[in-house]
Amino acid sequence: MTVDTNPPVGLPSPEAESRGFLRLEWRILRTQLAQGFAKSRLRYALVIVLSILLWFGLFHLVLEGFHFMKGTLPLRIHEQIVHAIFNMFFLALFLMLIFSSGVILYGSLFHGSEVAYLLTMPIREEWIFQHKFQHAVMLSSWGFVLLGSPMLVAYGVVAHAPWYYYAMMLPMLVAFVFIPAGIGAILLLAILHFFPRKRGHLLALTVVLMIGVTVWCFGSLFSRPETDLLTPRWFQEMLCRLQLAQEKPLPNWWLSSGLLEAAGNAWSEGAMFLVLLIANALFFRELAGMFAARIYRRAYWEVAGFGSPPTRVHAGWFDRMLNRCLGFLSPSVRLILVKDVRLFRRDPLQWSQFLILICLLLMYFANVHPVRYSIRVSPWVNIVSFMNLSVVGLLMSTFTTRFVFPLVSLESRHFGLLGLLPLKRDSILWAKFLFSVGCLLIPCGLLILLSDWRLGIPPMLIVQHQGTSLLLCLGLSGIGVGLGARLPVITEQSPSRIAAGFGGTLNLVISTFFIVLVLVLTTLPCHVYFARQMEPTFAFSGESAPFIRSWLIVGSLGSLLAGALAVLLPMWVGIRTFRRQEFH
Amino acid sequence: MIEFELVIRRYGRTVAVNELALTIPRGELFALLGPNGAGKTTAIRMLVGLLQPDSGQVRVCGIDCSRKPREASRLMGYVPDEQYLYEKLSGREILEFAGEMHGLDRATTRDHIAREAERFELAGFLDNLTETYSHGMRQRLVFAIALLHDPQVLVVDEPMVGLDPRSARVVKDLLRAEAEAGKTVLMSTHTLALAEEIADRIGILNHGQLDFLGTLAELRQELSSPHQALEHLFLELTNGHPLPAAEKIPS
Repeated sequence: MTVDTNPPVGLPSPEAESRGFLRLEWRILRTQLAQGFAKSRLRYALVIVLSILLWFGLFHLVLEGFHFMKGTLPLRIHEQIVHAIFNMFFLALFLMLIFSSGVILYGSLFHGSEVAYLLTMPIREEWIFQHKFQHAVMLSSWGFVLLGSPMLVAYGVVAHAPWYYYAMMLPMLVAFVFIPAGIGAILLLAILHFFPRKRGHLLALTVVLMIGVTVWCFGSLFSRPETDLLTPRWFQEMLCRLQLAQEKPLPNWWLSSGLLEAAGNAWSEGAMFLVLLIANALFFRELAGMFAARIYRRAYWEVAGFGSPPTRVHAGWFDRMLNRCLGFLSPSVRLILVKDVRLFRRDPLQWSQFLILICLLLMYFANVHPVRYSIRVSPWVNIVSFMNLSVVGLLMSTFTTRFVFPLVSLESRHFGLLGLLPLKRDSILWAKFLFSVGCLLIPCGLLILLSDWRLGIPPMLIVQHQGTSLLLCLGLSGIGVGLGARLPVITEQSPSRIAAGFGGTLNLVISTFFIVLVLVLTTLPCHVYFARQMEPTFAFSGESAPFIRSWLIVGSLGSLLAGALAVLLPMWVGIRTFRRQEFH
Repeated sequence: MIEFELVIRRYGRTVAVNELALTIPRGELFALLGPNGAGKTTAIRMLVGLLQPDSGQVRVCGIDCSRKPREASRLMGYVPDEQYLYEKLSGREILEFAGEMHGLDRATTRDHIAREAERFELAGFLDNLTETYSHGMRQRLVFAIALLHDPQVLVVDEPMVGLDPRSARVVKDLLRAEAEAGKTVLMSTHTLALAEEIADRIGILNHGQLDFLGTLAELRQELSSPHQALEHLFLELTNGHPLPAAEKIPS
């Protein structure tokens, strides 16, 4: 072996690498903002305005909830309940962030073309990791900040919190997010380094374990209640069951305690928890960085070296059945639809998170039994079923944002193939629309049916709910596919990144408005009508029966119109753009 | 110099590179040839630090690419077959990032960018976002990035893809000039005419094994075909049966 006489020139210092990445990020952000404001001012303004409206809508809703609790419950129980709600909310978030940051990092650290480029340069592995880690944290937590902040601000308003409560809120949330993200990253690196060939099995095992833990938590939370719903005793019983989320070594307890202390004018205690969270965030970030410095490249080698075993696939019974069932469609639409179903089915990493959410809702609905809660004769059953419908609708809107909106963008990459086939471009979009309706309608309808059946609501209301779910599925699909075609992200390969971009955010905001509109126009008056029949003084007691009937009729017509517009308008806009779109 | 010392690399049960032993000294332009799936890209990925050999060693200027990948990559310039460029940065900004990550100071980076811009005729579009570049412009920029830090070793995977005749000429001249300046150049390509034209030596990988290593004249001698083009020799060596001339053009 000949040793070269020229020693390597000095490698860059860690500070220089850090500066280099910071400059890189800043330049990319600056370009994106400049391009956005130069070319898409209206789009950006629309998203900002709609996001603000959504934020205030959520804020108002949660504010009412906190006011209700404060007015109903004794002060001590109220505080404990708020603490328990915060604890549970942040614990659920903690677990989801571990999982989602792991999934995002797996894609970006081990399969991205950017890391392959960076790994061929003399850059420390920990800086490559940190660069992608910051992205993963942002991608997995933006929704949390958007949806969690109205709740925290609303609590601050109800509790008459001092200014430093609001000042501490954002640093606490940001510090908190880094802890589960760091744990997720460490777990991912460890699994891929030590068990690269068993990574599929371990991932499945982790999912099963998480579902198991969640089932156990929900089971212990909702089983065998011995008191009437929403009474102080019921709240106390629930409080005992939420004990699991209130373990002091858990970061969710630090966050909720820190926020509540700050809201209660105890700034020093609040600051202590803030420091505790920041210290732990830094610790886990550093620990993950140390792990990455030692094993990231080796884990990358293992993953790249093992490859995927050749998988033989063939048209199974499901595809054949689908083909037969869709015989009434034109062949081109049917073939594209079946292809989309196949692709979706063969990519479990994408739909597993959605499946977990559906399973959670299934368990919750299965456990909501009116006899247990003694609410059969109470109009509360109406509220619970209305809320369940709203939650399912919102879940479906996240589904369309995450899976349906990116469909056209992802298809664009293969347009060299599809574009040469004798297909009308319109059929591609209509096939995607039908695919989305099919995917939404089955879980949506079943979940709502289960909820209604368990709650024992009147048959007319069940029919109304099924009609609403059909309307929601059609509208959400139209919005998702139409906007996806109008605002495609052709250069991006990751569906999660496409969904997290401008178009995805706009899709989520418009979908949420559509759901709220349909629910307010038609489902709410239905519920009010039935609730008043059970208990005339329950809601809208000041309004006359003819008013409710008029609301019901006009609202139903309005929601049908809104549904038709939600399908036709975005699809028309999307088809127009898609026909003109040039693909390379 | 580049050294592969009895390198073996498997993907599951498939042996992608089998006991590859190869030394490419300074000042040599080496062309690595082989059919699809022969192991060329695997060998290059081990060299640039994207894969680790199952056994054996890959060294660059005496530095083990698996044990000290950063030090090894500092000495290398790499032009991959699929270029990655930050779409929202200009060519100049990407070159500045590459210079900074290779430990060059600002003044040196600026000088080297000017040098590469002149060499690859980048000046007209260097400050435009790379998302607006054509394939040829991107390829020229990738070459500039690879050469910015004056590497001792240049590794090029399919250098001619997407280049117009003028750019192709520039690249050919550049690869020769780099080798003549005492650098080691490893080029993996399917363009046999290119290897025939500029390579000092060629290696033919087939099913992970180096079936031939030497000059074109030695290959002709080995196959007893003194006047045949490299294409004919390559097909004969890799398939055992070169296509008759009449079969080359479909009816």
